[in-house]
Amino acid sequence: MSQFIAFMMLQGFVGYISLAATLIIVLVVIFLIATSAKNDDESSVEHKVSKIRGRYVFGLSVILAISLFISLRFLPYPRFQGKADEVVTVVGIQWDWEMAHGISNKTPHEFFGRNEITLPVNKRIKFIVTSDDVTHNFGIYNSKGVLLTQTQAMPQYNNELQYIFSQKGKYTILCLEYCGLVHPFMTGTIDVQ
Amino acid sequence: MIQLEPVNLKKQRRLAVTWGITFLILFPLLAILGLIMRLGQGELIKLSLTNFYAFMTLHGLGMAGLLFSMAFAAIWYLIGTRFAELNIRIGYFIFFTILIGLTGLTIGTLIGKFGPGWYMLYPLPVKNPTWVSWSIETSIISIVILGIGWLTGILHVLFSLSKEYRGFKNLLGWQYLRKKRGPKKELPPVVLITTISLIPGIMGFMAGITLMAMYLLQSFKSVLSFDPLLLKNMTFFFIHTLVNITLYLSVGWVHVLLPEFTGRVWRTSKVQVCAWNATFFLILFAYFHHLYMDFVQPLAMQYAGQIAYYLSSIPATTIVMFGVVVQLYHSKIKWGVIPLMFLLGMAGWAIGGFAALVDSTIAVNKILHNTLWVPAHFHTYTLMGIVLFILGFLFYLFPAKNNQQEDKVANAGFWIFVTGSYGFLLMFYLGGLSSIPRSYARYTGMGIESMHARAVGLSQVSIAFIILLFIGLFIMTFSLLAKLQRQRGDVN
Repeated sequence: MSQFIAFMMLQGFVGYISLAATLIIVLVVIFLIATSAKNDDESSVEHKVSKIRGRYVFGLSVILAISLFISLRFLPYPRFQGKADEVVTVVGIQWDWEMAHGISNKTPHEFFGRNEITLPVNKRIKFIVTSDDVTHNFGIYNSKGVLLTQTQAMPQYNNELQYIFSQKGKYTILCLEYCGLVHPFMTGTIDVQ
Repeated sequence: MIQLEPVNLKKQRRLAVTWGITFLILFPLLAILGLIMRLGQGELIKLSLTNFYAFMTLHGLGMAGLLFSMAFAAIWYLIGTRFAELNIRIGYFIFFTILIGLTGLTIGTLIGKFGPGWYMLYPLPVKNPTWVSWSIETSIISIVILGIGWLTGILHVLFSLSKEYRGFKNLLGWQYLRKKRGPKKELPPVVLITTISLIPGIMGFMAGITLMAMYLLQSFKSVLSFDPLLLKNMTFFFIHTLVNITLYLSVGWVHVLLPEFTGRVWRTSKVQVCAWNATFFLILFAYFHHLYMDFVQPLAMQYAGQIAYYLSSIPATTIVMFGVVVQLYHSKIKWGVIPLMFLLGMAGWAIGGFAALVDSTIAVNKILHNTLWVPAHFHTYTLMGIVLFILGFLFYLFPAKNNQQEDKVANAGFWIFVTGSYGFLLMFYLGGLSSIPRSYARYTGMGIESMHARAVGLSQVSIAFIILLFIGLFIMTFSLLAKLQRQRGDVN
């Protein structure tokens, strides 16, 4: 539940911060139009604006530095993840997902799996994701249609994605990289118990 | 400034007008493909998967190509009539090369049903294709033809400018960085921005042509195989640079034209030179953010992607946006459609840029990547940024004797266009926040019922706004063509 709320909060945060930025930009546009009827000497305008610009650069740099410092601590890459409780091999093929427990020692072409898998709740799962043909994208959605996490499924490479399912239920895998005509129908299911 | 013979000025103007008319014909045609795709997603028409993806490919490739071509044509006109002599024959060579390229792409996609998407990620175009094989070669050769046209033009513009300003160093504005002596010859901001944009453009197009050559090789010899990660890097370097420099070029001509309405000077300064030179490197590194979800990409590149994208917001906003504020604040400007387009174009760039900045955060990218948030932000700074700048340029290029400020028809068209566009974009943004995937021809196969309803609903609402967008566009086109007609009458 907490993880679900966290992601909902992340999407909500993105929405609100973008709305706030848009409103600020719109207000600046309105301000510029509304104040343009007056006439000021160009050098005095430049002087006024340069003062604000200095503060703006300082403020923006601080915000960017803080945002970088915070956001770069939450990277989805394997190096920043803990030890997995369970491993799942995933192979994307046009247009299906093949999944099986454990690390596969077969080539993606020889690999056989199913597009449904059952996984335990509150365990750290490592998905080793690759492709047998073109590039796909392994996107995990909850039952409400919220995108939880994702990684690319690329031929010749293994991307390792870790995720802890904190709620029991049905999760859907959608392909998030256009991979040919049947792309919107390339789905899979994870049953978390 | 150069002084052109009236006859040469007329020739350059004719070329620019030809480009303008071509844009006014092709832009709505390519946009209609977008409308048809949204109608299909909204389940209001039956659109086959084959047609949807052929349209998606042509819409994306065609728009990216057309916008860059028009932006380059506008810059060509401004530079060729004010700052350096440009060979009109090369100008027409580029024009016809691009027409041939766009025609080839149209044939490949609409007849051959070539549909690997506009950035055609390796090895999709050539691996188990569902489109006929000649369509691959036709489309890829067409892209190479486009690349040859653009490269020829870029090299000609850069070498002509270099001759005029005595060396590339001066074009990059380095003479402004000398401690004691200032520049011998003033460098107009548009020349600086053009140089900063076109040099990465050469690198991007070279990467693109190499990529296309690899596709062609594999298309002829299917046993060949290349590294998908390397080709993905090349792909995004090519397309990101293409779109990025289209935007910067269009910002370039705002530096020339907006001062004509405000009566204020927009000079190159030392700060500007530093900012734009920094932007040069940021253009090269910014594409890294497209590969965040490739966990095997070297970690340093992932860090560099986010840092470069964050840093790019500093020069963009502090130099360009504040430059616009200096131009407009208490300027007693008369608000005609041209300055309005430039101001709202900047706003569109800022809004789309902010959405891109959010998406360039790795921790956030994992819940936004390849959702509708992505087309949302790039449609914002193309439709409400680049297209507004282009329309502003065309209204400038097609003046008639009557006063711009009095042109109520154009103004009405403009506001209808802006309202329709933002409504259409909002549906994309809401789709992104609702995790709806991009590039889905249909939403029936996802297996999440609530999401299907949301996706179809947003598509249907967006159609109403797209129709509004088209009404605005047609009114503006009508106004532009009427001006052109009147102008011809005036000349005669």
